[in-house]
Amino acid sequence: MSETGGVPEIVPEFVLPPPTGAYRRLNPTTKLLIALAEALIAFGVRGWSGPVVVLAIVLASGARAGVGARLVPFLLATIPLVASILLVNTFLYPGATDRIFVLGPLAPTWTGLVFAGQATLRVIAFAMSAAVLGLTTGPDELVADLERRGMGRRTAFVLSATVRSVPRVLERVREITEAQRARGLDTEGRIWRRVRGLVPLAGPLLFGALTDVEEQTMALEARGFSAPARRAVIRTFPDSTPQRALRLLLAAGTPLVLLVSVIGMLGFLP
Amino acid sequence: MTSLATESLVFVYPDGTRALDGVSLQIGGGEAVGIIGQNGSGKSTLIRHFNGLLRATEGRVLLDGQNVNERHVAELARIVAVTFQNPDRQIFAGRIGSEVAFGPRNLGVRGTDLEQRVEEALKAVDLGPRGAANPYDLGFSQRKLLALASVIAMETPVVILDEPTTGQDARGLERVRSIVRRLVGAGRTVVVTSHDMRFVAETMERVVVLRDGQVILDGPPEEVFAADRWPLLGTTHVEAPWAAQEGARLGLGSTPTEASLFTALQAWGGQV
Amino acid sequence: MSLSLRSVTYRYAGSSRRVLRSLDLSIERGEVLGVVGANDAGKSTLCLVAAGLAPTTIGGRLDGEVAIDGAPSAGARPHELAQRCGVLFQNPVTQLSGTTATVWEEIAFGPRNLGLALEAIVERVAWALSLLNIDVLAPRDPARLSGGQAQLVALASVLALRPAYLVLDEPTSQLDPQGTQLAGEAFARLTRSGEVGILLVEHKTDLLERLADRVAVLAEGELVAVGPAAGVLADERLEAWGVDPPARVRLARAAERAGVQLPVSAA
Repeated sequence: MSETGGVPEIVPEFVLPPPTGAYRRLNPTTKLLIALAEALIAFGVRGWSGPVVVLAIVLASGARAGVGARLVPFLLATIPLVASILLVNTFLYPGATDRIFVLGPLAPTWTGLVFAGQATLRVIAFAMSAAVLGLTTGPDELVADLERRGMGRRTAFVLSATVRSVPRVLERVREITEAQRARGLDTEGRIWRRVRGLVPLAGPLLFGALTDVEEQTMALEARGFSAPARRAVIRTFPDSTPQRALRLLLAAGTPLVLLVSVIGMLGFLP
Repeated sequence: MTSLATESLVFVYPDGTRALDGVSLQIGGGEAVGIIGQNGSGKSTLIRHFNGLLRATEGRVLLDGQNVNERHVAELARIVAVTFQNPDRQIFAGRIGSEVAFGPRNLGVRGTDLEQRVEEALKAVDLGPRGAANPYDLGFSQRKLLALASVIAMETPVVILDEPTTGQDARGLERVRSIVRRLVGAGRTVVVTSHDMRFVAETMERVVVLRDGQVILDGPPEEVFAADRWPLLGTTHVEAPWAAQEGARLGLGSTPTEASLFTALQAWGGQV
Repeated sequence: MSLSLRSVTYRYAGSSRRVLRSLDLSIERGEVLGVVGANDAGKSTLCLVAAGLAPTTIGGRLDGEVAIDGAPSAGARPHELAQRCGVLFQNPVTQLSGTTATVWEEIAFGPRNLGLALEAIVERVAWALSLLNIDVLAPRDPARLSGGQAQLVALASVLALRPAYLVLDEPTSQLDPQGTQLAGEAFARLTRSGEVGILLVEHKTDLLERLADRVAVLAEGELVAVGPAAGVLADERLEAWGVDPPARVRLARAAERAGVQLPVSAA
């Protein structure tokens, strides 16, 4: 395993454009483990400290990776969820009595507001962490690295094909919606009519997925996918002793932090 | 009879692609118009404007002189029915008959009227006796015909067919051709996109050629496929149908269809 | 040396219908055999059976024998069959693995599966790219190709397994005129190279007239005609079998009917 990673000289150089920037140059598996640890801590550590610390780390690493501005759309995407979390908890927190004010049937509580604020931070921290991973790590890079580390070929394939198929599925949903709307399906009218319209939309989606799988299975077999041979490694990614140490630390440390938090030994933190 | 028109229609996709770049077309009620051009020339984008699936970035789209802009797609479907390239993006019912009934049912058709429409549409595509079968027991080309039937049954004044000829064999092509002719005979306005130039020349009265979102040729087949237009057609990778090519080679004038080529041959033979 | 089918009858899994009936057919190394027939004649099934995907991958029941250069396909594993006979389907999109970032890696996918050393993989990818004259596509993202380009990449991906035979199932049916042109040129290069024996299923008889050495006609799962391309494509019964004769043949017939002598250039 080289310190820099790369592609053997005989492979054309366009196969792996060298990543730039300190964060991007991290090994894909390291970045995956960082994202996982961040998600677990954001949701698993009680109180404010978990989400606040994670959010600070995520934003710092996002800035370091130079993807700061590109995080904004992901932040905006959390708005519907965040809004509903804020509303539901602030106004309807079960059992809370410390009302902020009362206005007719509306009675927001401090307990609810605090809980809602923490939940919001957790969601945002998680979304930002996933976004940093997605923006700095190509799915094919991640899979190639995991495969080199011994993950099963089929698992690697399914994982990578799933990630890469997302745009295709979205395109298909658009085509199906268009075809059914062109036949008079009402997707702009009243709610109950829209709900009724789900069957004609789901049907072709499921069937399309099934026929695709059949065709793709044949195409894969025609390319020797089930051969038992060991595959030559084309791309290797930079790795280093500090990174290995970091991964070990994350793998061992994260469950420990969670455990300590769950049994209440972090009570001194806000 | 319903007319279609676009006035300096421009459409820009969110990614910035200018798919239509000032298209002005007048399509009279009862006309049969073929739209050709390579992928990416704007054919699909254009037809999606006629039933409101896409909304003009600039310019206007008119149905019988009325702007379509403010009207829902479900409402426009009463006037303009569209069937797209891939039948598997629409087939969902467990029975062929129910699949065909979906469109007219959405338009509020019920009872014996509905049954009759389904029966007639299935007969038109040669699937008459198979109404109770599962659509996915049909081969791809038959599923395409089924999608066609499901649009015919809506009995809209305007019918738009996106690539109806893909995957059809000689018989299937003849079937599609006769359906288009029958629709036009019944006073419907029919717009068809196709990569099959022979089909277009033999089925449509007028051919519109798109390139990079602009109309570069518009006229009857004998004009559009005439030899002096080939260089222009070549710029969008369209090749004139073989009858036109043979006719030009034999010096018989513009003969875009086999029938016109044979007539010209006969007349020429008479002169010898 | 040939890919041969001897009295082959095939039924899909869960169906008793004989989609292919007592078929005898062979494709020589370096030859192009065109196959025509109406849409339900069994052409696609013939492709699957010849390539060994039916029954090895999709099941069903095969009677008779399929053999490639003398080795029976029955009992062979899918990756062994893939190196004897490659197959290209109609839809360019589902044939790509969807897991690679560049066309180069996409074409390397098959050779990697075979466990080849990196040097051999690199050599094969370069060979397939240059055989089809698509070297310029190598750095591109496979998900962002036109239909015609994607179809050629799929073909190169199959060729990289160096099969002695190749089955092409209506490879241009879903392409636009430019894609068809592009693919047509690549097929012509491939057939001229004489590297492989090709079974080409194609509606466009004009294309077959240019590319095929022999043509076979299927009707309702049976082989009703096979022989040199010019002869079969001029057969009087072609239209009755649901096949459009090539333009040249139609023209000659029309001239005959009109009682006109065509100039030599047109004949």
